[in-house]
Amino acid sequence: MAKDKMGTAIVITSGKGGVGKTTTSANIGTGLAILGYSVVVLDADIGLRNLDVVMGLENRIVYDIVDVVEKNCKLKQALIKDKRYEKLYLLPAAQTKDKTAVKPEQMVELVGELKKTHDYIIIDSPAGIEQGFQYSIAGADRGIIVTTPEISAVRDADRVIGILEANELHDPQLIINRIRPDMVKRGDMMNMDDIIDILAIDLIGIVPDDESIVISTNKGEPVVMDEKALAGKAYRNIVRRITGEEVELLNLEENDESKFSKVLKLIFGK
Amino acid sequence: MRKDVVSIKGVAGGIYLNVEGNDLGQIKTELESKMKTASNFFKGSKFLGVRGEDLTEENRVEIMLLLKYKYDFEIQIEKVPDHVVKDNYEPVKEMIAAEPEVVQEGMTKFVHGTLRSGQEVSYNGNIVVIGDVNPGALLKAKGNIVVLGSLRGVAQAGIGGNRHAVVAAYSLLPTQLRIADYIVRPPEDDIQYKYPEIARVVDGAVVIEPYLPNK
Repeated sequence: MAKDKMGTAIVITSGKGGVGKTTTSANIGTGLAILGYSVVVLDADIGLRNLDVVMGLENRIVYDIVDVVEKNCKLKQALIKDKRYEKLYLLPAAQTKDKTAVKPEQMVELVGELKKTHDYIIIDSPAGIEQGFQYSIAGADRGIIVTTPEISAVRDADRVIGILEANELHDPQLIINRIRPDMVKRGDMMNMDDIIDILAIDLIGIVPDDESIVISTNKGEPVVMDEKALAGKAYRNIVRRITGEEVELLNLEENDESKFSKVLKLIFGK
Repeated sequence: MRKDVVSIKGVAGGIYLNVEGNDLGQIKTELESKMKTASNFFKGSKFLGVRGEDLTEENRVEIMLLLKYKYDFEIQIEKVPDHVVKDNYEPVKEMIAAEPEVVQEGMTKFVHGTLRSGQEVSYNGNIVVIGDVNPGALLKAKGNIVVLGSLRGVAQAGIGGNRHAVVAAYSLLPTQLRIADYIVRPPEDDIQYKYPEIARVVDGAVVIEPYLPNK
């Protein structure tokens, strides 16, 4: 990357737990690296780390973010190089400490350092709006809010957007995760427009509820690498939009499998 | 013409009872007839107290108790404030035409943009939101509340007891609505109305109506 250009720090947050922040962080980070960018994914969930597991790098952790902040090691020593992609690094959280171990100012300094040498810093924020969330947003330039199509998640997302705006992190973007188009069709699940109506921020992508994600998480291989999975395609599109490209929204209802089964039915008349 | 023993006076801060002499029987009789004709009107206003130069403390207390328990007045202050005693004031019949000040005119706070969950706006007057009010947001006004958008949070108008306050919105879908001491939940039906609506207290209950009678 050009020496004079600073990288961009993006915080992935949601308020609600379990909506897919870590999955999104791993996939956006990996997706950007696939496109050739230099990326650090940063696990800010101190005490409950799992970004390392999702990326398949848990066995390689020697130093973590608290070591860096306490100056037990150099920043470079704590960065773990991804096993598949050259320009992708992970800065893991500490598992034996808790969120009082890091202060917002320390995060700002750390992220600032990383921005000098990398194109994108993806900060995986913990759930909630307390200390962990506070230092996660401290170093960020942009925010991405992840929500699922459920009233509780949307309520929390709204709260978080308000807090981001109050902290001068304007115009966060939205990812709606775990969409089930069949339920939306039946009227059992909130649709995109309802969610955007309430949250009133720009949509940067939608991701379907996909079994492939469970499989890929357990394998430690982010689904964005999977050519066949619809969720993988969704994340690849999101990554392209982050870099500024305009990409049409994924049509979640039709995927390759259903087309194939339609053809089968035609041939075998079942 | 013989002067009324009991008269109800209105001042800027509210209303109070002015009593001549100390004849409790006569006072009670006159109070009875006065309350019959105009009791509903007074309920919205702030009651300041009972004033009477010749009135004994015992009788004053008796009258206060009567007002509180028989006529349902909200008695907040024991003694009539000094400035009330000194001021000049209009006779009661003029008050019946006028609505309590703050909901006809009054200071207004304008909020630009959407109020998100967890945000709160309190004001000692009217509030106008040019934006939406999301669920989890809270509006508290001494006067009216108007939302130029969807009201989905909690709106509390008429704080302090002003039952003439109203809540209006393009899309009135609050999780809870409060006017003065009334608290209401929205109806269970999901009907969306295509016109702006206004909530107000009519005959002791909160009613939601279209913003204009002929809509």
